[in-house]
Amino acid sequence: MTILDRSEWYDIARETNWTPTFVTEEELFPEVMTGGLGVTRDKWEKYDEPYKTSYPEYVKIQREKDAGAYSVKAALERNKLFETADPGWISILKSHYGGLALGEYAAMSAEARMTRFGPAPGMRNMATFGMLDENRHTQLQLYFPHEHCSKDRQFDWAVKAYHTNEWAAIATRRMVDDLFLGRDAISIAIMLTFAFETGFTNMQFLGLSSDAAEVGDYTFSSLISSIQTDESRHAQIGGPALEVLIANGKKAEAERMVYQGIAGAWRLFCVLTGPSMDYNTPLAHRKHSFKEFMQEWIIGQFERSLIDLGLDLPWYWDKLVAEFDYMHHAYQLGLWYWRPTIWWNPAAGVTPDERDWLEEKYPGWNDTFGKCWDVIIENVVAGRMDKTYPETLPILCNMSQLPICAIPGNGWNVKDYPLEYQGRTYHFNSEIDRWMFQQSPERYRDHMSLVDRLLAGQIQPPDIGGILKYMNIAPGECGDDAHKYAWADAYRVNPFSKSAA
Amino acid sequence: MSQLPIISNFQGDFLLQLVLGDSEGTINSLAEAAAYHSVGRRVAPQPGKVIRVRRQGETGFYKPDAKVSDTDIKAMDCLEFVFSDPDKK
Ligand SMILES: [Fe+2]
Ligand SMILES: [Fe+2]
Repeated sequence: MTILDRSEWYDIARETNWTPTFVTEEELFPEVMTGGLGVTRDKWEKYDEPYKTSYPEYVKIQREKDAGAYSVKAALERNKLFETADPGWISILKSHYGGLALGEYAAMSAEARMTRFGPAPGMRNMATFGMLDENRHTQLQLYFPHEHCSKDRQFDWAVKAYHTNEWAAIATRRMVDDLFLGRDAISIAIMLTFAFETGFTNMQFLGLSSDAAEVGDYTFSSLISSIQTDESRHAQIGGPALEVLIANGKKAEAERMVYQGIAGAWRLFCVLTGPSMDYNTPLAHRKHSFKEFMQEWIIGQFERSLIDLGLDLPWYWDKLVAEFDYMHHAYQLGLWYWRPTIWWNPAAGVTPDERDWLEEKYPGWNDTFGKCWDVIIENVVAGRMDKTYPETLPILCNMSQLPICAIPGNGWNVKDYPLEYQGRTYHFNSEIDRWMFQQSPERYRDHMSLVDRLLAGQIQPPDIGGILKYMNIAPGECGDDAHKYAWADAYRVNPFSKSAA
Repeated sequence: MSQLPIISNFQGDFLLQLVLGDSEGTINSLAEAAAYHSVGRRVAPQPGKVIRVRRQGETGFYKPDAKVSDTDIKAMDCLEFVFSDPDKK
């Protein structure tokens, strides 16, 4: 028997749609789940996914990819990377697994929504593979950290993080709920696959992969680059959906969804990838700065794909691009200073050499962020450790749930962006976060930040002990400085010099 | 004493923080409460300067010896704490 080439049958198979007779079209694809924006079924059938594959082809390739990732892991299990790698690198692994493993699981649900409720046959087909991809990503990223749990219980947060009220976990879960779980199929195609995946997953999954190879962590490098090959395929679900919307007079609605997706994704990658690249990755192994990666992928590539589709750049584009210079430095200060409240041990990343690198990559760093670190370094060197730990909470943005922060020192521009809505005052980190809230206030209005919960008496006792308990941070899981403050030795030699002796 | 939570935006610091003030205390004592969580932690002390308090977006400062409950400051207002020369009003 001759087997037809895929190209000979694919289009017919893909365009096979059915006409419901027992129920109406509207009952089969309710607007609340599909989000087709009134574009009719024949128009959605024009949806043309750029990446075509069949189930047998998919299974064959995925099987090879999985075999590759697992065999690299098995081969390197005894190479003692865990004992010899820089502790800053180990922290990247912990923040990555805790922050993303179960986010992949949520992405699987989102893909499943497109599989069932996507209005175009081609979209449903692509999303079926996407759903299987995300299942693979979840399982891989729960399994890989598991071997480390017996040595270091912070790795248990790969499974645990999303089930806690730890603040970074709340922030991540909020974003995932908003963009992945709580949306209709078309919004997911645009916000998750187009904005989040085309725009941003490169940052963590390709950018960090090259750093991992530099560090010698080939297990992690092959794992996340294997994942990224799936992302770059199923991320293509969104583009053709945008084309259908634009061709049918829905450009404004499409843009609004793209802008919301970018705003949500940016905050997560800023707090996760930014400090990983510019502070936790050992200096000798940094290939590019976070900003350089952002310029290449967000301005160089993603901006291009927006323009190619005929979309206008978001109204906030200049503000977002300006944040590349400072936002993740501010998050890093927050992560390090509030280190007992996170599940990994952040590297300070401020030795004299590292500061020179930061100053070179971000001119003015010493005069701004460096001013805060000067005080911290003085305290560490003088043994005033109590002054290096927090005794209160940051004000958390009512959109991102991350600290409201910006540039300190001589560039001080920290500001609240408040909004009165139905008798409650909300606080935001930027105009972008406030705009996001205003797009659908009824969606966000009842959520309480950790600070709101503290003030409402939900956290008892209302002190650091009570807060850690509320965050489910058990003894032995609290973050502390990755290098046990050894980096401060450079300043003990000559405390008055900020340059390497 | 009656606790009053406010949002502290302290000059030179990198974030907004929750600070518990005393509504029966003075503006000066509120400034001290805010300074406790910033100065000597991430903000260098500025000897010889005083810390003045203003509402975000305003240029005028509250009187240092005013009682907080006599001002228009409400719970969770965002206040700026700024180093200033002692004689400057
Ligand atoms: Fe994924
Ligand atoms: Fe994905």
